[in-house]
Amino acid sequence: MTNKTIKVKDNDIAGSVNDFLKHLLSSGKVQALLVPQNMPSKKVVFPVFISDPKKLHADVLAPILPASMASLISKMTKVQSPSKPIGVVMRSCQIRALIELVKLNQARLDNIIIIGVDCPGTFPINTYTSFPEKKTPTHFLVEAFVKKSDEAEKYLRTACRICKDPIPTNADIILGFYGSDIEKEILVEAFTEAGKNLLKDIALEDEKEGKGREKAVKDIREEKNKKRADFLKEKEGMKGIEKIAEFFENCVNCHNCRHACPICYCKECLFDSSVFDAEAYKFLRKAEIKGLFKMPNDALLFQLGRMNHMILSCVECGLCEQACPNNILLMDVFIPAAENAQKKFDYHPGKDKNDKIPMIVYREDEFLEVGEK
Amino acid sequence: MSEEKKEQKKEDFEPKIVGFLCNWCSYAGADLAGTSRIQYPPNVRIIRVMCSGSVDSMYILRALLEGADGVFVGGCHPGDCHYIDGNYKARRRMVLLENILGTLGLEKERVWLRWISASEGQKFADTMKEMTESIRKLGPNPIAKHWDL
Repeated sequence: MTNKTIKVKDNDIAGSVNDFLKHLLSSGKVQALLVPQNMPSKKVVFPVFISDPKKLHADVLAPILPASMASLISKMTKVQSPSKPIGVVMRSCQIRALIELVKLNQARLDNIIIIGVDCPGTFPINTYTSFPEKKTPTHFLVEAFVKKSDEAEKYLRTACRICKDPIPTNADIILGFYGSDIEKEILVEAFTEAGKNLLKDIALEDEKEGKGREKAVKDIREEKNKKRADFLKEKEGMKGIEKIAEFFENCVNCHNCRHACPICYCKECLFDSSVFDAEAYKFLRKAEIKGLFKMPNDALLFQLGRMNHMILSCVECGLCEQACPNNILLMDVFIPAAENAQKKFDYHPGKDKNDKIPMIVYREDEFLEVGEK
Repeated sequence: MSEEKKEQKKEDFEPKIVGFLCNWCSYAGADLAGTSRIQYPPNVRIIRVMCSGSVDSMYILRALLEGADGVFVGGCHPGDCHYIDGNYKARRRMVLLENILGTLGLEKERVWLRWISASEGQKFADTMKEMTESIRKLGPNPIAKHWDL
């Protein structure tokens, strides 16, 4: 099928995308949109839930991901699906996370129309808000993107630099930047009935050359995959109690990583409970056995426990690392662990909402080497 | 703890093993070993749980981080679970846990999952002997001496 394109007027990419989004709202095709938008200070971009097209000033390319979009959708669909269509503008990692939350019964997709955007990566919040270059982060990123240079690379979050797949899957429509001259046009492709319906009656132009997109997508996937493989190789030695103890040394047990994680959804986390409070004599006894121990004493258990609970569904969005107040580079440990665990169960988080989470299914004739020898 | 005890030789090292036994099979198996007066090493500290499938990996990790030398999980034979499929799920958890043990640099042989029925008192005793010896060979849990966790 021929792709459609949004014409970019006067080099104003955000404005042209906004015209498209405004049209979706004013035509009633979506009742509301969840979309990243500039805050009044213009210093930072946050997701907004918007129903009034006049107030829309979205910036879908802004290289920042302050909060998990998947968690936000979980908040508004977990109890009941919306009765009218809601459009959600999301990056690929967040769509993967949303699919995982659907499997975990923490979100619903009925009447949720996923508008995926190609993701050239995001910067840490602090880098974005105090950006050292003369241009705004978005302009800087777009320019680097157009020039196909890697000057934005040094500002990217680790998770983005080695992104699993910057092209959205499972989206109803995709706004594509890869493979198009984004100063002139943005590709729009519909993948589902809901998506096709969304594009109906909208005056979009047909794409002139159909092949550019396919190749650009293949290229960027290959490039990112290679970077990810190199990263995995580089971090191969990140194991062993000495290294792990040192790695998590700065952990203050604030649990910010857990709050930021789209997958960690438990209402009551074991680590917020009083399980680890005990009578003073138990602490004394442990001190006498070991001589001393670090306090708070369950920080490493928290990290390993969290890893064990969410690693199969880890979509590698890197929000945990971004949330860490002490700059612990969580990706160094979590991505290799996720890679190993997911490989073992041949599980691909976010790929298909009909897949089952490996921990709730089994086969009688599997892993026979575990258990009885 | 006295210095003397700390510097004991590997052969004299007495492993501490935490055993999670399922209420319906393995715990009854251990009980049978006891009532049948079958001798087995006293190295295992048994904790009764309702099902091997209820043993969250967190319990196992905590035991190891607190310094246990080995963790044993006993469940019903495949197909015999009182809750139909708890032991199959326990098996999957164990596969996932091996991954975390790898990150920690712990030998996966420190955590055992075995199927022991209520009638297998002898098998329980034999398994305990086998595991105690195996952990003795591996030596003390290297995490036990870490106070910086």
